[in-house]
Amino acid sequence: MALGSLMSPELLRAQAPKTVGGLPGLPHFAPKAKRVVCLFQSGGLSHVDLFDDKPMLHEHAGKEIPASVKGTQRLTGMTSGQSTYPIVPPLKPGKRCGQHGTWISDLLPGIQTLADDICIIKSLNTEAINHDPAITYMNTGNQQPGYASIGAWVSYGLGSENENLPAFIAMVSQGTGKNPGQPIFSRLWGSGFLPSSHQGVGLRPGANPVLYLQNPPGVEPDQRRHFLDDLAELNEMRAKELGDPEITTRIHAYEMAYRMQTSVPELTDIRGESAQTLEAYGPEVQRPGSYASNCLLARRLLERDVRYVQLYHRGWDQHIAIAKQLPNQCRDIDQPTTALVNDLKRLGMLEDTLVVFATEFGRTVFSQGKLGDPGMGRDHHGRSFTVWLAGGGIRGGVEYGATDDFCYNITENPVHLRDLHATILHCLGIDHSRFTYKFRGLNTRLTGVEESHVVKGILS
Amino acid sequence: MNAILLRSALSSLLLGIACGSTLSINLCHAGERAMDYNRDIRPILSENCFACHGFDEKSRQADLRLDIFESAYTDRKGTIAIVPGQLAKSEVWRRVMSDDADEVMPPPNSHRSLTNGEKDKLKRWIEQGAPYAGHWSFIPPVKHELPSGPSRQPIDAFVDARLEAEGMKRSPEANRETLIRRLYVDLTGLPPSGDEVLAFVADKSDNAYEKVVERLLSSPHFGERLAIEWLDSARYADTNGFSIDGGRHMWLWRDWVIQAFNDNLPYDQFLLEQLAGDLLPNCTDPQKIATGFQRNNMVTHEGGTIPEENLANYNADRVKTLGESILGLTLGCAQCHDHKFDPIKQSEYYQMFAFFNTISDKGLDGNAGVNPGPSIQARTVLKTDEVPHLREQIEAIEKSLLTMDLARLSAWEKREQASLALRGKDLQTYPVSLKKVSTPNRGAGFEIEEATNRVRLDGFGSMGAIDVVAEIPKISQPITGLRVIMHPMAELPGGGWGYGPDDALKAKAKKAKAASESPDEKKVKGSFMLTALAVTADKVPGDQVNLFKLMAIDHVTANSWEASNPPAGCLDPRNDSGWSPDLDHSGPVQLTASFAEPFDAVSAPYLTVQLNFGNGRSLVAKSIELQVITGVDDDTDLPSDILAILKLSEKDRSEDQHASLWKYCAEHSDELLPSRIELANLRERLDVLTKPFTTMVMDVAAKQRETFVLQRGDYSKPTDKVSPGTLAVLPAMPTESSRDRLGLAQWIVMKENPLTARVAVNRFWKMLFGRGLVGTPADFGSQGEWPTHPELLDWLAVDFVDQGWNVKELIRTIVLSDTYRQTSVTTIELVERDPQNLLLARGPRFRLSAEFIRDAALKISGLIVPRIGGPSVNPYTPGDLWREVSHYGSSPATAQTFVQDHGEKLYRRSLYTYWKRTAPPPNMMAFDAPNREVCTVSRGNTTTPLQALVTLNDTQFVEAARAFAARILMSTAKDDQDRLEWAFLEATSRTPTSEERSILSRSLDRERERYRGGINQAKAYLSVGESKISNQVNAAELAAWSQVASLLLNLSETLTKN
Repeated sequence: MALGSLMSPELLRAQAPKTVGGLPGLPHFAPKAKRVVCLFQSGGLSHVDLFDDKPMLHEHAGKEIPASVKGTQRLTGMTSGQSTYPIVPPLKPGKRCGQHGTWISDLLPGIQTLADDICIIKSLNTEAINHDPAITYMNTGNQQPGYASIGAWVSYGLGSENENLPAFIAMVSQGTGKNPGQPIFSRLWGSGFLPSSHQGVGLRPGANPVLYLQNPPGVEPDQRRHFLDDLAELNEMRAKELGDPEITTRIHAYEMAYRMQTSVPELTDIRGESAQTLEAYGPEVQRPGSYASNCLLARRLLERDVRYVQLYHRGWDQHIAIAKQLPNQCRDIDQPTTALVNDLKRLGMLEDTLVVFATEFGRTVFSQGKLGDPGMGRDHHGRSFTVWLAGGGIRGGVEYGATDDFCYNITENPVHLRDLHATILHCLGIDHSRFTYKFRGLNTRLTGVEESHVVKGILS
Repeated sequence: MNAILLRSALSSLLLGIACGSTLSINLCHAGERAMDYNRDIRPILSENCFACHGFDEKSRQADLRLDIFESAYTDRKGTIAIVPGQLAKSEVWRRVMSDDADEVMPPPNSHRSLTNGEKDKLKRWIEQGAPYAGHWSFIPPVKHELPSGPSRQPIDAFVDARLEAEGMKRSPEANRETLIRRLYVDLTGLPPSGDEVLAFVADKSDNAYEKVVERLLSSPHFGERLAIEWLDSARYADTNGFSIDGGRHMWLWRDWVIQAFNDNLPYDQFLLEQLAGDLLPNCTDPQKIATGFQRNNMVTHEGGTIPEENLANYNADRVKTLGESILGLTLGCAQCHDHKFDPIKQSEYYQMFAFFNTISDKGLDGNAGVNPGPSIQARTVLKTDEVPHLREQIEAIEKSLLTMDLARLSAWEKREQASLALRGKDLQTYPVSLKKVSTPNRGAGFEIEEATNRVRLDGFGSMGAIDVVAEIPKISQPITGLRVIMHPMAELPGGGWGYGPDDALKAKAKKAKAASESPDEKKVKGSFMLTALAVTADKVPGDQVNLFKLMAIDHVTANSWEASNPPAGCLDPRNDSGWSPDLDHSGPVQLTASFAEPFDAVSAPYLTVQLNFGNGRSLVAKSIELQVITGVDDDTDLPSDILAILKLSEKDRSEDQHASLWKYCAEHSDELLPSRIELANLRERLDVLTKPFTTMVMDVAAKQRETFVLQRGDYSKPTDKVSPGTLAVLPAMPTESSRDRLGLAQWIVMKENPLTARVAVNRFWKMLFGRGLVGTPADFGSQGEWPTHPELLDWLAVDFVDQGWNVKELIRTIVLSDTYRQTSVTTIELVERDPQNLLLARGPRFRLSAEFIRDAALKISGLIVPRIGGPSVNPYTPGDLWREVSHYGSSPATAQTFVQDHGEKLYRRSLYTYWKRTAPPPNMMAFDAPNREVCTVSRGNTTTPLQALVTLNDTQFVEAARAFAARILMSTAKDDQDRLEWAFLEATSRTPTSEERSILSRSLDRERERYRGGINQAKAYLSVGESKISNQVNAAELAAWSQVASLLLNLSETLTKN
């Protein structure tokens, strides 16, 4: 009998432990969240326009930002040479939302309705002021390349709960605010110094949702099954001859590849979704590769217990023509993001799924370019910006941290991005200070060597 | 199946098997032997104590150092950390054993604690007098006397002695088939051919093995093979890395490395030239090329970044790379503070930094495919005898293209005539209703002009990507194409179509002006260049083209073009070609793209069109109309003179017209495309070997930057000024050396440097055994692993230097040892006792690295094109993975959109695959290839499902299976059984067992039956890949054998070095 049939998927499932991979001793304590979806808004989302309106901005509209507020710290090379720094109030009005009355822009009408479910952190901060270092920092805990992404860390630490899909999946969509948006890099979902099996596996639309998934033309699934049986039989003979456990590992890898050929197309086939669900995610859900489509896929991945689902939506870098670009960009993400949170709630999954809505930095309250010019925009601002969290382990309906009257400097409860990382790990039952990988002589951590703290004030 | 095996296999499915893990397993039964500070104690103290009681002054607690005995033995008000020989009086011991949370060491918040084994070692060490010793790797190596025993080969003598101490024995020699394959893979990165295996097996001479070794050491592939690890260390790649990640040109440096290994350049010289070739007296171009080593770091041209910060990062990367790849020191750990574990002060770090802070590089540089400075133009160092043959080949193809081939000409003409006959058939054009226009970098100057239903662009710069959304009217016939019409406008220069003028015309106008012939520059007609066109149709409107659904365009036509910028120029998405109309044309100009597959506008009524303009110049159109068409386009891509000739009957054509027709056919027809590709590739190759190209180098700036210690590594917080200098813990620089990079290089390769040779020897050992004698090849410091065979490492290091840093000799010594020649066949017991093979009681066995897996498939299939060096190539990749993440359309940077190469460039060895750092080749990344962003000294070695998908389904491997099948069928083997045996030998270097043969036979029969019954399936399967399909065998037979070939290419044995 062929070995492949000996190791049919059913048999493998019966033998396999529930969790594949992961470290002994992890999680360190009972987790509130079993899985994470990170909706990364790449390019630098304008906290000023979308979440952090202040009366003073309207009073000072068009006037110079006070020197005492602006301070003397560095600006990017794009605005450091400007002769004036006039205040630009939010583009669009907003309203007080939720029971706690947090302000959210009318550009995000859907997210306005989530106010009671989400925890808005208004005091996130980073030292980085340019895209490459800033987005690398947010995704790997370091501004320089060579480090592991959060998803890779989580895959390494907790392993997978699904033997037919990778533990960490990444998806990229193009924004309509600015296209092309700032470039992004495979290092953002890379494994860095961790074993490469923890790198995020890209999921893309089309015939090969995972690269190389599809059999070549003229090769049928049953034919491939026979092929793999023969291959396994040949390999197994050799394994016995040589006493090499690695060969057995490889046989299993081929079996998982085969299972992925079924599990991935099943995952990406949304024909079974109800009209109501599709409608909730908006018309773009019909366009594979869009943010909306990726949000729906994210829900389907989370349902299948994929540990870490990472979306990147490009196009938030509104240095230029923010008045034209930002509304488009908001429209891309508002309805799908809202639908995803509601969908998780409907399925009872929001309780143990952590939703992270993040970006690499905010944008300046002052204008880049001439005030009133259609080309006017906002530059990068790392001193304070807004992200929000929801779901497993997080207290909804709160605002955490605050900025000054010009949403420029933090006045209350600063949250460094390392603290955010520590908090994400905490929700997954991991103590960031004990979660290490020895590399180049150091017990390297996602949160690095600087001090970092779990943001206790936002935990449920 | 063994339960342990199954469990380990499952857990490593996702986790993978990480080779080069830093776990150190002490296999020695500690017994009562004397504790050795370096081997037994330092690792414990380093891991648990040194962070607070070590070298770093700023984080030192209680002013106590445990890394030096002077401090550890000191009486502090009656308390002494360590009292030699007196456990009870040693505070360290009391604190380690304490139950009190306030007293116990290490403290609870460090999350560290000593194991019982470690406590036991510490106890015995103190009892034995707590002898300290200098860190082993800082003490110069000496050749220890060989241990007594039968073997006088030093490697074997040391390995045997260690095994004997453990009560173990070396494994017997591997069989010849395994040995020759191991040698081939290790020394060339390619498997041997079946004939080479058989010849070796049959060679009964005493020096049969040595002969193979010598042959391989002098193979030109030796240099390619050895280069791989160095390219990883040097973080060599083809793009700049940060942010926009534009292209650069560093392959001259890569080829220098290959040639250096092939020439057996002494390793000290190898380092000297790479670190300071430009400072050598009378330096040569090759020595300057070599200095590209420290220019391989990533650079950025992200607008907004601060040049000083970037420069500080570049130099930090250079110091880090120097440390990890050459010195085996984690120098980077001292960037922000004194090193926590090794005696390296932060100020010393910046002294090392200062050596590199003298280059004239800029903090923002390298855009538009131009190398970041400094760079030079130089000729390749490759030594090859290809040139005469290349010239012959080029001449032959040129001649064949000049020689009229009537059969091909008439086939082409027949097709052209047929399409001309259909020209304009049932053509209907429909204006589409323009909805929206967007562009990334402007706030105004682009809009839909409702009255005319046109896009209007105002005053554009040097390039622009314009996305237009339009709604198609309800049309029941399939939409066959898109027409883009540019209207002339009176307000444009010369009443033309765009902002132009072409630079050349501008220059001409200037000249004319100078000669006061034509004083008005405006008379030059404004034009445009459409560099790329992309279209998507969808059921919902999309502001931008959907990169995942770009419509395949069959061909483009226009009603006017300049000879140098025909319509087809916009089919290449890169911005170096495009369509531009003939300036003499008057009225609107139009370009029509006909789709490969017509589409239904009812289900996909929304069109998005991306128009890319400019080519780096102001060649942008102003007034643009869009139409869709049904039926057949009435324009043509044929020039008017060719059109006129085609209208004549054949007998009415003059000799000249006949010749013009052939010339056009030769230059444009699909029939002759393979010849044109081959010609272009050969010409490029000839250029590579004969002309200068740009490459990045080191230099010394006229005005050098000053170097300061940076507080916490922050570029904006300089403190004390420092000058170049080396590390105090290591021997001083030679007195005659200058305090510059040359001096640094001389210090690194001086005999007294205790690290350089050890680190190098260890790396070469690792290349062959999968693991170094020191398990942490980038870290020979306190936190690194203690060598498994310290005396052997030292013996090899000293011998390496004594032999003149002779790399080939070192490798010869290793591969001739019995230790290397052992069989890797093993037992579960041995695997469990020594899973990492630390003791070397068996031969090495591990999966081939990414490059060699693809290279093996290319060689076994016979597709390989074994040229050495040259610009990197773009073989098959699934789709345009670059554009999905890049700044395409918003940047003049190169490497923003992937365009696959053709012809021989598909079959070059994998180290020549274009390495874009932000989107590296996925079939390499699946097999643990690093992204080359930073120095990598050891790759992982995982086993994952994605790897299986690559070798099963990647076009490269599917095509290789087909080509391998053709080779099998063309071989001298005469029946199925013979063929299976021949093929098995080619793939695995051994003959199959009868059981293996029967499985393969069964497989073959099954596939044969399947494809005989489904010939279209067979043809579809065989159509994968661009190499010519053998027409000497029938499709079903070839397809069936291709399946068997794929089976062989996927065998664990084929993918593994045994």
